[in-house]
Amino acid sequence: MSSLDNLNQLTQPFALEMRRISKSFGPTQVLREVDFELRAGEVHALMGENGAGKSTLMKIAAGLIEDFEGQILVAGQPVNLTSPRDATRAGIAMIQQELSLVPELEVDENIFLGQEKLQSLFFVDRKSQVQAAEEVLKALDFHGPLQMPVSKLRVGEQQLVEIAKALVSKARILIMDEATSALSINETERLFQVIRRLAAEGVAIVYISHRMEEVTALAHTVTVLRDGRHIGTVPAKGANRKDLIRMMVGREIQEMLAEDKSAAETARPMLEVRNLSLEHPSPTPSRPTLVQDVSFAVGAGEVFGLGGLLGAGRTETLQVLYGLHPGTSDGEVLIEGEPVLVLSPIEAKAHGLALVTEDRKRDGLVLGAGIDRNIGLPVMRTLTRFGVVARGREKALAQSMVQKLNIHARDIEQTAGSLSGGNQQKVVVAKCLVTKPKVFLLDEPTRGIDVGAKAEIYRLIRDLAEQGLAIVLVSSELPELMLLSDRILVLREGRPTALLDRTEFSQETILEYASPGGAIQPEFLNLEATL
Amino acid sequence: MKGAAASVGKFLLKTKLFWGLAVLYGAGIILSPVNRKGANIFLEPGNQADVLRQVANNGIIAVGMTLVILTGGIDLSVGSMMSLGCMLCAMLLTLPGWTAASTASIPILGVVAFLLCAYLVPLVATNVRRGSAKPVEHASWNIRLLGLVVGLVVGALLVWWTTSQLQSKFGVLGVLITVPAAGLALGAFTGLVIAKGRLQPFIVTLAMMVAIVGLARLLGGETAAVYPVYTGSNATEDFEILRTLVLQVVPVPGIFFLVAVLTFGFILKYSAFGRYIYAIGGNENAARLAGIQVDQIKVAVYAISGMLASLAGVLYTSQYRQGKPDAGAGGELDAIAAVVIGGTNLMGGKGTMTGTFVGVLIFGFLTNILLLKNINSNIQFVLKGAIILAAVLLQEGQVGLWWKRLKARTKKVSTGESRRDEVLQDHR
Repeated sequence: MSSLDNLNQLTQPFALEMRRISKSFGPTQVLREVDFELRAGEVHALMGENGAGKSTLMKIAAGLIEDFEGQILVAGQPVNLTSPRDATRAGIAMIQQELSLVPELEVDENIFLGQEKLQSLFFVDRKSQVQAAEEVLKALDFHGPLQMPVSKLRVGEQQLVEIAKALVSKARILIMDEATSALSINETERLFQVIRRLAAEGVAIVYISHRMEEVTALAHTVTVLRDGRHIGTVPAKGANRKDLIRMMVGREIQEMLAEDKSAAETARPMLEVRNLSLEHPSPTPSRPTLVQDVSFAVGAGEVFGLGGLLGAGRTETLQVLYGLHPGTSDGEVLIEGEPVLVLSPIEAKAHGLALVTEDRKRDGLVLGAGIDRNIGLPVMRTLTRFGVVARGREKALAQSMVQKLNIHARDIEQTAGSLSGGNQQKVVVAKCLVTKPKVFLLDEPTRGIDVGAKAEIYRLIRDLAEQGLAIVLVSSELPELMLLSDRILVLREGRPTALLDRTEFSQETILEYASPGGAIQPEFLNLEATL
Repeated sequence: MKGAAASVGKFLLKTKLFWGLAVLYGAGIILSPVNRKGANIFLEPGNQADVLRQVANNGIIAVGMTLVILTGGIDLSVGSMMSLGCMLCAMLLTLPGWTAASTASIPILGVVAFLLCAYLVPLVATNVRRGSAKPVEHASWNIRLLGLVVGLVVGALLVWWTTSQLQSKFGVLGVLITVPAAGLALGAFTGLVIAKGRLQPFIVTLAMMVAIVGLARLLGGETAAVYPVYTGSNATEDFEILRTLVLQVVPVPGIFFLVAVLTFGFILKYSAFGRYIYAIGGNENAARLAGIQVDQIKVAVYAISGMLASLAGVLYTSQYRQGKPDAGAGGELDAIAAVVIGGTNLMGGKGTMTGTFVGVLIFGFLTNILLLKNINSNIQFVLKGAIILAAVLLQEGQVGLWWKRLKARTKKVSTGESRRDEVLQDHR
C-alpha cells in the first residue's frame, strides 16, 4: 500500500467510530472507555469472552441502550443514538443473537416492517413489497417461496430475511451477533458468502463471534475486548489463534482438552433405547415423522454423541427420552436394564434422567430468581420439612454446586439473568446434577458461551462420564462433538444413518452421513427399505 | 458520604411503597375534618376500625389474587365467586331444609373434604418421616390408603353434621366451612381447565365469572333477589360474631384479612409451594422441565383464590345483613388493582404479599379520606384510577428511565473534526 493510499484511507472518515464508550449496569461496569473504529467495506470481528462487553458495545451502536458515556460518529458526523429508530436513520442495523422477526407475518411483511410500501395513504402495497423482497433475497441466495409465515422457514433462512430487512433499510453498517450459533455448516458457508459480497459492496460489517475458525476465515480486522476494556485491534490475516485466545482470556489456557480418551468400557449399558419414534405435527411425504426407529445403547461412563444437521431430530430424540412428547412418541427405554415408562419430566427425574436444553433462557432458568433458588428448584422436596424450605440447606447445596462447577457470581443470591452465558449454563448443569442423574442428556451445552467456559464445560462432561454417568450429547459444532464423544450416531431427517466409532470420526464422514442424499451404513439401510 | 447517600436512596426506593402509604396516611390526618370535641376524625379508633372492616373483603380476595398473578395468571371470577358465596351463606342461614343452596353445597363439602384429606394425609406423612438424610419422594400405598380412609371418614362426618343442622338452620361455623368449600371446588375446577386445557387464564376465568354470577342468581330463584339476614330472628344468633369488634377496636373481618395475609404470606415466602409459584411465574418451561407438578400448583392456586373469594362473600353477608347476587360485582378489578399497586408484576414471578397488604391499605385509606372529605363518588372513581396509574408507573421504574432518556437527548454532542485533525497530524 503506497503512503498516499494510506493517507487517503486515514482522511476518509470511519464508517463508524465509537469513542471512549463507558457503560455500567448497576454496580457492574460493563464497558470502560472503549474505542472502536470500523471502515466501509470491512468485516470487523469483535471477540471476547462472555461478559467482555461485545454485545453491549454493539447494542449501543444499534441504539438499543440509551444511557452511556462517550461519543459515536457515523461517517465522521456525530450522531445521537438513543433509539433503534435513530440507528436505522444513521444506516446501522443489528442482527441479534435472538432473531427479531414476527413469526406469524410473511417474509415480505417482516422485511418491510415499519417501512411498509404504501399504495395510497395507508394501504400496504403487498405486490410491490413481495417483488422488492424477492429481489433483495435473490441477491442473498434465497430462493424459497415468500408467501409464508417466517416461522415456517429454517433458522438459516430466517437469518437471511433479517439481513434483507437490514439491506432494505439501506443499512451501511451491519452488526451480526453470534450469527452462526444456530446454523448448520452449509448454511454458515452460505452466510459467509453473503457477508463477503456485502463487504465488497462497501457495507461495513461487525461480526461478533466466539468461533475462532470463522473469524480467521471471514474477517479483515479483529478487535478483542476483555472485562469491558479494549485489549487490541489486529489484522485478521496475521492473527495467530493462540494469541487471540490469550488476548481474550488474559492467560495461556491449554486449548480445550488435548488428551485422548480411551474408548469407555461399555460393559454395563446404562441407557438403552429401542425404536424410538416421534410423530410429525404436520407430516409431509418427505418427512412423515420427526424421529423414526432410533435405537442405541449408552454405557455407564460413555459419552454418546448424536450428530446431524439442524432439524435432523437430535433435539427431539432427547425430548422424547425426557418425556416431553407423551402420546405422540413411541419406543422402548431401558435404564440399567429395567424398562421404564417416561411420560413427563417428573417421571424422567424419578428414573434418573436429566436434560440440559438447548435454550437455557427459555427452558432452563428462572432468570429473575437467584442462583440458589434455581439450583434448589428440582430438589425442593428434599429441602423442605412440612413444606417449609430449609433455607440453610438450600444455600449450602447451592454453595457446594457453585464451588464444584466454578460458577462466577457475586453471591449465590445473584439473579440467574444477570450472569454471563457460560455461568448461566453452569447453573443449568448444576440444576441437573443435584437430582443425582444416571443419564445426562445434553443439548448444545456450549451454545453461545466463551472459550474459557467451554473448556470448563468440556472438562465437566468428561468428569461426569468418569463418575459413571451415561451422557447423550447433541452438538452442532462437529469439532466439539468429535472431541467429547466416544461414539456418534448420525441422524438424517429423523432416521439413523450411521454409528461411528472414535477411530472413524472426521468432519467429512459425519457430514456425508448427515446430508440428504448422502451415504447410509448398511445396517441402517434395511430399516429404510421396510418403511 | 456519597455512598451513604446512595444507600439511603436505595433504601428509600426499596421501601417506596411504605412511604407512599405513610404519605397517604399523613394526608389523611391533615385533610381530615375535626369533630365537635376537636378530635381528628380520621384518627378516631372507630374510623380506623372502619377502614380495616371495609378493606377486609377486597383484601381477602387480593390475597388469593396475589398467588394467581404470581403464577402469571389472573382470576376474573373472584367477584362472581364472592356473590355466590354471599348468596349461599344467606340462604343457608335463613332457609331450613333441603333448599337449592344446601342441596348443592353439602355434597360438594363432602367431596372437597374427602379429596383434601386424601391428598394432604400422604403429603404430611411423607414429611413426618423425612429427615435431612434420606428424602422420601413417594408415599407408600399404605399411607395413600390411610389418606383415602381418613378422607372418607372426615367427609362423611362433615356431611352428617351439616345435614343435622338443616332442620334448624346453619350456624356461623356451618357457613364458614361449607361456603369456602364450594368456592374451593369451583376454583379448583377453573384451575383444572386452565392447567389441563393449556388455556389462557384470562378467557377461562372470564367465562367462569359470567357462569358463576348466573349460578348465584339461579340459587336465589326467580322471586327473591335479596335475602335479608337478621340474626336472632330469621338466622341464628351466633352469626352476629362476625360483626363484633375484638378488644373493642379490631373488626372480625379485619382479623380474617390479617390471618389470610400472614398465612399465605408465610406460605409464599417460606414454603416449597411458594417457591413453585414464583418459579412457574418466572419461567413455566423451566419449572416444568425441573420436574415440578406445574398443573397441580395451578389448580391449587385457583382453588385458594376461589375459597378466599367465597369467604369474602360470607363476610359481606355478615356486614350488610343480606345476601344478594351482585354483592361482589367489580370485586375482581379492585383486587387486581390492589395487587398491582402492591408491586406485583402482572407477568408473574415477581411480587410479595407485603406489597399486596400495603396496596390494599392504600386503596382503603384513599377511599376513606375521600369519603370523609365528602367528595362526589364519581370524582372518587376518577381519583382512584389516577392513583392506580401513578402507583404502577412508579413501581415499574419507567419514570426514572424517562428522565434518563431526556438527559441523553439533550446531551451536547461535540463535533468529530478535532479527532480527525489529530490523526492527520500524527501521520505527518
